Amino acid sequence: MTRLSRRAILTATAVTVVVTAGCLGEGSGSYDGEDSADQAANATTDPDDSTATNLDESAIAETALPIADTSLPLEYSLESLRDEAVNGGVPKNGIPSIDSPSFESADDVGDRLDDGDPVFGVVIDGDARAYPQSILVYHEIVNDEVGGEPVAVTYCPLTGTAMGFSRGDVEFGVSGDLVNSNLIMYDREGDSRWPQMLGTAIAGPLAGASLEEVPVHWSTWGRWREAYPDSRVLTDETGYVRDYGRDPYGSYNPPEGYYAEDSPTMFQSLSTDDRHPNKRMVLGARPPAGPIAIDIERLADEGLLPVGVETTGDGDDAAADDPADDHEEDTTSETSDVAESSSLAVYDQRIDAGRLYLGDGTDYSYDHDEGTVVNDAEGTQFEADELPLESVYAFDAMWFAWVGFYPSTAVVD
Amino acid sequence: MTPSTLTSRFAARLSQTTRVTRFAFTRVDGASVSVLAAVVYLGAYLWATDHMRFRSGATVSVTIVDEPFARALERRSALSFEPIALIEFGIGTLLVSPIDLAIGAILVGLVGVNLALAYLALVQPKACGIGAGTGVAAAVPALLSGSVCCAPMILLVLGIQASGALLMVLPWLLPVGVMVLVGSLVYVAGLVDTTAHPRPG
Repeated sequence: MTRLSRRAILTATAVTVVVTAGCLGEGSGSYDGEDSADQAANATTDPDDSTATNLDESAIAETALPIADTSLPLEYSLESLRDEAVNGGVPKNGIPSIDSPSFESADDVGDRLDDGDPVFGVVIDGDARAYPQSILVYHEIVNDEVGGEPVAVTYCPLTGTAMGFSRGDVEFGVSGDLVNSNLIMYDREGDSRWPQMLGTAIAGPLAGASLEEVPVHWSTWGRWREAYPDSRVLTDETGYVRDYGRDPYGSYNPPEGYYAEDSPTMFQSLSTDDRHPNKRMVLGARPPAGPIAIDIERLADEGLLPVGVETTGDGDDAAADDPADDHEEDTTSETSDVAESSSLAVYDQRIDAGRLYLGDGTDYSYDHDEGTVVNDAEGTQFEADELPLESVYAFDAMWFAWVGFYPSTAVVD
Repeated sequence: MTPSTLTSRFAARLSQTTRVTRFAFTRVDGASVSVLAAVVYLGAYLWATDHMRFRSGATVSVTIVDEPFARALERRSALSFEPIALIEFGIGTLLVSPIDLAIGAILVGLVGVNLALAYLALVQPKACGIGAGTGVAAAVPALLSGSVCCAPMILLVLGIQASGALLMVLPWLLPVGVMVLVGSLVYVAGLVDTTAHPRPG
């Protein structure tokens, strides 16, 4: 069991990034590009400060797609993202989405899946579903209804990202285009183009609008089945024939081929950064203070990682502190600010996945034996998905893809 | 050269090609080379286009999609279409895409004849040695046309990053490959002497 004192939580910020108050373009869906310029020294496309977009309010009012109240942050203009889009070698729908998915119970899966095989898990209103990576690698999008809510469960093999989106009555398909190696989806209502990781349309009538994200957890079949024994599992009756027993890109168990950490990317990235190997998996999130990338292996080791973000409001220079230097520092008024605006990354041992919450100053520690999070003051225990904190959407991604889209990202490693 | 002269020369070369092709298949060695080349090329084509794979864990079964006729016409890439059946044969799998197979059959036929004629040009040339191996060389772009189906996979195999120029070239590999094979066939046919006897030994 790892215990973190209040002092440690206040001061042992795994990473500290100064974000000048007001930098976040609230409602404009942009992070300030000031810090990006330094961190994206190798950017092939300069992060754009003027990422504010003119939304077509009438299109948003008329669409059946659930649109987020606030656009997600972007670090490039829509125009530059459009310019960087390339065709991935397939036409529109050349990678067919699954529009009539069929499921079977966990008990019926048999040896179709090994315990170590990756699955993407979704739980909505008690309805748990697992989508095997071996199937989604060939289809990338499943237009499904989970817990009565229409959702698109999406997976981009080239960036290692599994994400969900509310879709109303609208289906999504695969456009065949990529940006920063990431799947560009299209909606079958107005043909707007949505890079998956951005969750924001870069072209079409809904350009600049963002989708409502639905948590999708990258897990393994063995853990998911144990955590959710009543889960239903996507079958290979997709309406198409594929050799679902073979991944065209390599293997995750163990990582080989395209999935190997040091392997090259297929397409040019928007920016490059060697703080991690290309394909290192990070937990990426875009909390209000700025994008962060958390090393998933370290999170699994620690169980719980506070991620401090300093909001001094005085325009100080950005500083990413060495976490090792922070552990024994005194608490100051500034570090109190850090705590007030910190996030809390939590390892969900049951499904081998990371979760992120906005901190509220409460001290927590991690019980490695139970895999639970403990409120230090009250002694109460919480499952990793049940903390009484505001949850932040977070998803696994290959490092090159995350830093490509978010070159200003802070890193927890 | 007048257009009528050009047309007549072209017709004569086509006639020569047809005659030489028939001649190649009347000889056991020519037919054998053709069939052998076709079988090898077919395997390479199916592998390059990701239709056939050898792997452990494959069962013995046949799966056919619900609406095969409609599915067969759905495009997967510039010149590749949806498979309608999956055949698992114990040591591997084969995806059956009728249109892709038809395209493959054309390529296989062209490669087979090309190699048969290249062989004959080698053992029975009008001009000794000229043109030998031309058919083999012509087969390469057609083989590379497999990347039309699955460019990212081929890029992965080759370990190269896709540039805009490369992505533009890939869809043209198949038609260019076919044109090169046809051109090669016509060229090599002009090198074969159908009246000569095979060399001893």
